[in-house]
Amino acid sequence: MTQENNADAREILVELDHAKKSFGDTEVLKDLSLSVGRGEVLAIIGPSGGGKSTLLRCCTLLETLDAGTLRYGDIEVAHNDADGRAVYADKATLASARRRFGLVFQNFNLFPHYTVMKNLIDAPISVSKMPRAEAEERARRLLARMNLQDKEDMVPCELSGGQQQRVAIARALMQNPDVLFFDEPTSALDPELTKGVLRVIRDLAEEHMTMVIVTHEMKFARDVADHVIFMDGGVIVEEGTAEDVFDRPQHERTRSFLKGSE
Amino acid sequence: MEFGKMMSLLGSGFVLTSQVFVITLIGALPLGIVVALCRMSRFKPLAWLARLYISFLRGTPLMLQLMALMFGPYALFKMQVSADWKFWACYIGFILNYAAYFAEIYRSGIQSIPRGQYEAAEVLGYSRGQTFCKIVLPQVVKRIMPAMGNEVITLVKDTSLAFVLGIMEMFAQAKALAASQVSLMPYVLAALIYWACCLIIEFALGRIEKKMDYYHD
Ligand SMILES: Nc1ncnc2c1ncn2[C@@H]1O[C@H](COP(=O)(O)OP(=O)(O)OP(=O)(O)O)[C@@H](O)[C@H]1O
Ligand SMILES: [Mg+2]
Repeated sequence: MTQENNADAREILVELDHAKKSFGDTEVLKDLSLSVGRGEVLAIIGPSGGGKSTLLRCCTLLETLDAGTLRYGDIEVAHNDADGRAVYADKATLASARRRFGLVFQNFNLFPHYTVMKNLIDAPISVSKMPRAEAEERARRLLARMNLQDKEDMVPCELSGGQQQRVAIARALMQNPDVLFFDEPTSALDPELTKGVLRVIRDLAEEHMTMVIVTHEMKFARDVADHVIFMDGGVIVEEGTAEDVFDRPQHERTRSFLKGSE
Repeated sequence: MEFGKMMSLLGSGFVLTSQVFVITLIGALPLGIVVALCRMSRFKPLAWLARLYISFLRGTPLMLQLMALMFGPYALFKMQVSADWKFWACYIGFILNYAAYFAEIYRSGIQSIPRGQYEAAEVLGYSRGQTFCKIVLPQVVKRIMPAMGNEVITLVKDTSLAFVLGIMEMFAQAKALAASQVSLMPYVLAALIYWACCLIIEFALGRIEKKMDYYHD
């Protein structure tokens, strides 16, 4: 793997350190750390309720950490205070961190009253003040890459689930994020529609897009990921290269999970 | 009395009726949003205040509220009100009352928007104000159109309550005419005019709903 060879030069884009998160009495993330380097694809697998979505939601600022450090490159989003509780940076810093990542949801969460084009260009124009012409040009290029060039004037309800998810991926790419997070991007789709979405993610991986993907598609994870994390009960049980985790799992829990999902 | 004379008196009442109708909507539609947002505020005292407001205005007769506004200033503070105070009392009363009903409709609409819409907007960097105005409100408007239509139609007829304040709107005119002419004809005509207005509004609402039919979710 290329990044093994030049491990010293690994440029860290996202770094989460000793993250803790509870909902009431349930501890969902228990002292969890991970980092993602430029061009890497990280797959997160594990049983339901293991905290995968919570992990992604903490990384994308949809949930706040109770404790831990979160960094996007040189931007420090959260760090621990003297009592070991996470404190978040000011609004402007969080806003600049948000421009560094995109998130693709399981249920797409497109804006139903906007056309495909407007779904893509509205945030860049009204949030980042991107000129309209530039935004439209970028949107057309992305739609073409997603194989949706003739769909820009449609509204989401006129598209299939697979097409909607590809629009959502294009939307997440509009502001040129450093890293793209996916939370089970194909779980809401029929098997037939899954392919197109996975194809697009594979293409992105080939172009060295940095991605963190929570998925139940084991074969896909193995193909596309450089690095795999198996997560259960709010901790990383096992991690390593795709070959390590899938072919030579060290832990019993990993083995039985992989067996169960064959 | 000839028919033309009767119609012109009813017509002058109709002008006042339309005024009450339009001014109430202009005031109550935005005020309702504000009340709904207060009602859903995380700042508890504000939420409770909005709850109390809605409960009281929906729980007491509009006629009583109008009369309280009309006579309250003098009864409570011995304030001498001007001759056109009755119009102010009428507009304020209608706006406050309808805002309470609208607020509950807005609230149901706002709460029906899936959380994922807010989360998508948040990740894309929209501010809270932008999220509400660009993402949430347009979807809310579509969802609440039928319920709003109901209230608007009700308002057409509720305007007749202005007559308790001595405002010579259409119903008051019809009542006066019926008494002086010893005829039920003015009532019949007034009823037909109210109905015609409602038909026009139903038609307009239908057009708006159709226009928003370009998507569903
Ligand atoms: N907002 C919340 N409030 C309370 N508990 C929550 C909340 N979100 C998640 N949880 C709990 O946290 C735990 C982990 O949930 P999470 O959604 O992160 O798991 P997951 O690994 O994504 O599971 P799945 O594979 O089913 O998506 C679960 O026990 C869940 O009930
Ligand atoms: Mg999940």
